[in-house]
Amino acid sequence: MAEKLLNENIVSQIREVFEQLDKPVEVMFFGSMADCEYCDDTLQLAGEVVAISEKLSLKEYDIDADAELARQYNVDKVPGLVIAARDGDQVTDYGVRLAGIPSGHEFSTLIHDLVLVSSRESGLSQETRRFLQDVKQPVLLQVFVTPT
Amino acid sequence: MALESPWVQAEMVEAMEFPELSDRHGVSGVPQTTINDGAGHVIGAVPEDHLVEEIRRALKN
Repeated sequence: MAEKLLNENIVSQIREVFEQLDKPVEVMFFGSMADCEYCDDTLQLAGEVVAISEKLSLKEYDIDADAELARQYNVDKVPGLVIAARDGDQVTDYGVRLAGIPSGHEFSTLIHDLVLVSSRESGLSQETRRFLQDVKQPVLLQVFVTPT
Repeated sequence: MALESPWVQAEMVEAMEFPELSDRHGVSGVPQTTINDGAGHVIGAVPEDHLVEEIRRALKN
C-alpha cells in the first residue's frame, strides 16, 4: 500500500465538512492503461476521500475498456472523475465532472462538488433557476483551472 | 447549474494536464470558463448573474 496522500489533519478537516453530506454520492473514476501521468495518484486520492464517509463510494473504470460508459457520461479525458448521485442501485448523472488530478486548490473543488451533489440542491438564485428552466439545448461549461 | 438542468454539464479541467485544449481556448488567466467549446467565455470567478448573461449570449450565436 502506497503512502497516504492525505495526512490525518486533512482527513479530520474533511470529515468535519462531510458532516454536511446528505444523500449518497458515487464517484466514477475513469483511467487509462495508456499514457496517463496522474491516473494512479487521482485514483488513490479519490479512494482516500471516499473512505472518509460511508455516504461516498468509488467505482473504477477504464476509458478504453469501458468506452461505452465513458461516452454515456461524456468522459473524454483521463484521469476523469464523474460526481454522480446514487440512490440505492440507481446512479444519476448530474453532469458534474473533473478532468485531471484535483490537487492543490482544486482539491477543495472536489470536496465541494461531493457535498453539492450529495445535497441534490444547486443553491442557485431564483433568477438563475428560471433562466435554466428555459434552456433546452446542451450547454457545456468547462472551467479551466491550475493546481496552484 | 449542471445540478439544476439536465442540459447543462460542468467540467473542471486541470489546464496544465490538457495543454492542447487550454491553448485552443486561449486560457491565460484562471479560472476561465468556456461555454460550448468557445461560443462564449468568462475569465475569473464571476458572479452567478454574469455567467448567466454570458451563457445567454453564447446560446444566441
